[in-house]
Amino acid sequence: MIVAEQKPLDEISRMIASYERVLILGCGTCMTVCDAGGEREVSFLHNALRVAQSKIGNGIHIFWEYTLKRQCDPEFLELIVERVAEVDAVLSLGCGIGVQAVAERFPELPSLPGVNTSFMGMTRETGVWDERCAACGDCRLEDTAGICPITRCIKGILNGPCAGTKNGKCEANKDMDCAWLLVYERLEKLAQLERMRRYYPPRNFRTIPRPRRIISKTSVDPGEEYG
Amino acid sequence: MDSLLTDIRQNYPANRTQRFLADHSLVPTCQTACPLHMEIREYVDLVAQGKIVESLQVIRSGNPFPSICAYVCTHPCEDACRRDQVDKPVAIRALKRFALEFGGDRLIQAEAETSHIEKVAIVGSGPAGLACAYYLRKFGYPVTIFEAHSELGGMLRVGIPQYRLPREVIDTEVQRLTRMGVEIRTNTPVVSLDLLFDIGYKAIFITIGAHQSLRMRIDGEESPGVIDGATFLREINLGLRPSPGERCAVIGGGNVAFDAARTALRLGAREVRILYRRSRVEMPAGPEEVEQALEEGVEIVFLVAPIKIKREKGRLSVTCIRMELGDPDAGGRCQPVPIEGSEFNEEFDTLITAIGQAPQTPGGFGVRLGRGSTIQVEPGTLATNRPGVFAGGDAVTGPATVVEALAAGRLAASRIDDYLQHRYPLVVKETRESLTGDLLPETVEMVRRIGRVEPPILASEERSKDFEPVELVYDWETATNEARRCLRCGTGAEILSQDRCATCLTCLRICPYHVPYLDAGSTVQIPIDQCQACGTCVAECPAKVIVLRKPHDRRRVTEELEHILKTAAGSKLKPLIVGFCCQYGLFGTGTLASLWRGARAGVWIVPVLCVATVEAEHLLRALEIGAEGVFVAGCGDGCARENTASWIRQRVEKVRKILVQIGLQPERLQTFVSGTLSEDPAQGMDNFIEQVGGLYLASVMMQEVKS
Amino acid sequence: MANSLFEEKLYSNEFLVTTEIGPPKGADISEMVHHIDLLKDKVDAINITDHQSSVMRFPSLGGCLLVKEHGGEPILQMTCRDRNRLALQADLLLAYSRGIVNVLCLTGDSVDAGDHDEAKPVFDLDSVQLLKMIRIMESGTDIAGKELKGAPNFCTGASVHPEADFIEPQLIKFEKKVSAGAQFFQTQGIFDLGSLRRFMQYASQFNVKILAGIIVLASARMARYMNDNVPGIIVAQAIIDELASAGKGKGLQKGIEVAARLIRTIKEENLCHGVHVMAVGNEGIVPDILEAAELVGVPS
Repeated sequence: MIVAEQKPLDEISRMIASYERVLILGCGTCMTVCDAGGEREVSFLHNALRVAQSKIGNGIHIFWEYTLKRQCDPEFLELIVERVAEVDAVLSLGCGIGVQAVAERFPELPSLPGVNTSFMGMTRETGVWDERCAACGDCRLEDTAGICPITRCIKGILNGPCAGTKNGKCEANKDMDCAWLLVYERLEKLAQLERMRRYYPPRNFRTIPRPRRIISKTSVDPGEEYG
Repeated sequence: MDSLLTDIRQNYPANRTQRFLADHSLVPTCQTACPLHMEIREYVDLVAQGKIVESLQVIRSGNPFPSICAYVCTHPCEDACRRDQVDKPVAIRALKRFALEFGGDRLIQAEAETSHIEKVAIVGSGPAGLACAYYLRKFGYPVTIFEAHSELGGMLRVGIPQYRLPREVIDTEVQRLTRMGVEIRTNTPVVSLDLLFDIGYKAIFITIGAHQSLRMRIDGEESPGVIDGATFLREINLGLRPSPGERCAVIGGGNVAFDAARTALRLGAREVRILYRRSRVEMPAGPEEVEQALEEGVEIVFLVAPIKIKREKGRLSVTCIRMELGDPDAGGRCQPVPIEGSEFNEEFDTLITAIGQAPQTPGGFGVRLGRGSTIQVEPGTLATNRPGVFAGGDAVTGPATVVEALAAGRLAASRIDDYLQHRYPLVVKETRESLTGDLLPETVEMVRRIGRVEPPILASEERSKDFEPVELVYDWETATNEARRCLRCGTGAEILSQDRCATCLTCLRICPYHVPYLDAGSTVQIPIDQCQACGTCVAECPAKVIVLRKPHDRRRVTEELEHILKTAAGSKLKPLIVGFCCQYGLFGTGTLASLWRGARAGVWIVPVLCVATVEAEHLLRALEIGAEGVFVAGCGDGCARENTASWIRQRVEKVRKILVQIGLQPERLQTFVSGTLSEDPAQGMDNFIEQVGGLYLASVMMQEVKS
Repeated sequence: MANSLFEEKLYSNEFLVTTEIGPPKGADISEMVHHIDLLKDKVDAINITDHQSSVMRFPSLGGCLLVKEHGGEPILQMTCRDRNRLALQADLLLAYSRGIVNVLCLTGDSVDAGDHDEAKPVFDLDSVQLLKMIRIMESGTDIAGKELKGAPNFCTGASVHPEADFIEPQLIKFEKKVSAGAQFFQTQGIFDLGSLRRFMQYASQFNVKILAGIIVLASARMARYMNDNVPGIIVAQAIIDELASAGKGKGLQKGIEVAARLIRTIKEENLCHGVHVMAVGNEGIVPDILEAAELVGVPS
């Protein structure tokens, strides 16, 4: 899941300042799950903006809200074509992908980001999410006991812990476990410590030629069928 | 600025909003168990909120004579109450009595207008007859009640002792009927139905009860000093004072036996002994009555039956035999079997038989009789074999309960209406599903135990002297606390649209009762038979897709806020402060009840089901409509639910952050949780109101300085 | 054939003494030059730190050039925090071309610890990979496999943390560093000789030289601060207590005593192959320590 945080209200207020009619567009998938831009947050933001307007009067806006199931597929965006025709800007509470999908579908309209898209992660407990994957494009989790050092070690190093670890925690964040200690403990349990003793060469960043594209359909050479 | 005031939620199509607010609740087990299908959950909840008048309205709409039920109902609802799985059932009957006493039931006027010309005769004035008369009058029919005795009420008057049902209660209801225009003919036994038809009645409802005591069929039963229970009670209730002597035996184990025994005690008997041929488990009398009888000094002897009575020297020599329980019969009840050679003699002054009663239908009625001399009717319509003649109550069922008789009377009224209007007697179907199933052990474990509090009763030595009502009424606080024990079965949360559910599992994680679960298809389910309707998940659902099945709360919050917007705008009372308060406890009935609506300058209270249902959005909305300060007050430790305050604190914190960004003081938003306040909650509230007042003044002054 | 004077000494069974100098934050290098002059003849080599604790400073490579200019023996500390593999290789080529051949290969502190916590952490390589890369360059190609016109030749070192609270993974990493070609190790600060003894019992099986890191503490408060804030450092409670026992203004003197005692014991008991004295921000006192540890004049 993609995890994001709603932007501070004053930042959003500044962003929409010059647009009178604004559509607040929520996203019903990841952004709903991570409390950043689901229907409730759309509604909350709507209310907050209205209070800001009534209490400090920073411009007069008319807001609409709508929450799509997903913003990252263009077909869903067709559902708001009519509404979009009446507004001056779309404030997307989708992740960075949603904001861009809106921009692509409605080229004539400003598409504003309402959230800071942060990472790909999982739920730790209600309201707490942890990053788990850096989308490095070259997964080596089989060697690290299912614990990703690229994501969970602040330095993303591949050959074991640095010397900064203290009490099993990371030197950069005393609340965060040292990923390499976790890897070590799990490999030990799995009797696979030899995986840690192995030398891992520098990462291949060729796997991340941004922007990336994945094509899952197989291309078929039309000649082959007749050959 | 108009757009500021009307909330534009244009993404909700009308039908979605309606679904949002529709009542999807299930019929709770108490309501299902009640022969009258009274909306028990609703009126108990209103009592819990301290809304006694509203509670009485609900009670009155479902029961023609709630005042009677409030005293003597056998409350099958309590037997079905699911709270029993946690600790003890909610004391529903006593709460009804409280609502009637405190809600001003005596002042309620019933009115009816005649809109039909077809006259209906009701033969008998027991609860079934009275109920039938009541509803037929409501439908607009001219109604006449024919009563053989001098006073109306049937068994209510002649069977039930006054200490259980004061006569004023019956009188009040009868007066109400009279005012509604019911014609009453007492001392008028009906012997022939033809006559009634001849003088113009178009339909007849026979509800003559079951007043004929069954005989024991033993030697000496006809002796002086032997009296049957029904007659005994009737004599007393009609004003006679028979003397039971020093030592009195009562044969039987039903309510009549206990009524007779306790009455004998009140008439001066020194020793009253109930002889019952089975054991305590089989005894049909209500447990409260058994208990109260024991307290008053009635002695109960089990597994004993009289076999012979002889009158000697002005006393009764009763030969009894001991019994043992044999194999259960087809009905599952163990049949008593005499133990040979266990005979013994006892001497009594009086012996009262109370082993059952049967109807006594005059042959002139021409209706077909069935087992035990009961009148045979078609169950769905209560129609007898004679066209236009209906029957109900004990005359049809044999001795049964008041509430069953009332239900029969109500059914008869609508069936007679159908008959007279030539309508097919369709069975009215309940559109809502009924709640079934027990609470799971893991749910039970999470429900906070709160013991049942019984209404006070007179001390036993006090009450056995006279016929004063034994049971007293709750005080306000006890009643509201007792009502708060209700689990609100069937009103729990539902996922309105699985399609919009993001399956984020928030509900599953935060439910204090661990109710939601993930089914095999990865869909979140909230089983309605387990949900405790606390509403926490409703406010926490990021997709806003969970609602309570009876969403009175959400609707009310929105409506109240709109109302405040409209009313407070013109009000001179400043500053405007909006409080979202638990509708129970502190604000419903407790120390802060005086803050309720306008009682305090500028303070408006929005009552909520539970503070856990107050959404962050609601707090913002209150500010938007012009509130200078907003507070949320819940009952903390006093709450029937666990840990509700922590949720609202989180939401308040979230909104405070927004306030800071807007440039408003976060102190404008406060949470008050009683039980955690070191000081008096009213004091804390005062301070807050003062503080907001200060902020308001400051802002006004700033405005003036600027201009 | 030894690459440098330091490498030569590394295999001479002499008790080695190194120290380190943190470059200035700014263009004024006079103080650093003063320290170089002060220390160059009293120790076997001088490390120049590489934006220590991720605080931006004058570069390590620049400091090493100064050491070289002033006739000292520099050890280039090289972290992976700020440079990708291109920049690291380029810097190594520059260093080698100017006679700087001792390289201490480090992963580097995280950016969060320093004064530019919004900077992009690079960590294209880690310390093990850096060591390996140097060996590859020495073989005549860069790590992309392209031939180098003139291969460098380095004396490589790395760090190890004998007092880490979870030692096993550190030992695994130590072995990987040895396999990757580390010739010497300068340890993280040692405060408890027991842990050094245990570590040496294990490390002596490898053909590498171990220099025990000695941190000079100026006060108990500093020790506690380091425990709380400096990555990896765990000052033993006994030492904190000893520092705290010193009178007002005598803390540094006490710290010097402690450091000197540790050094003396290490040397006397022949616990490891040398010491690396870290007088964080107090480079001027290093001669005092060496004197107190009776090590003055050793390199002569």
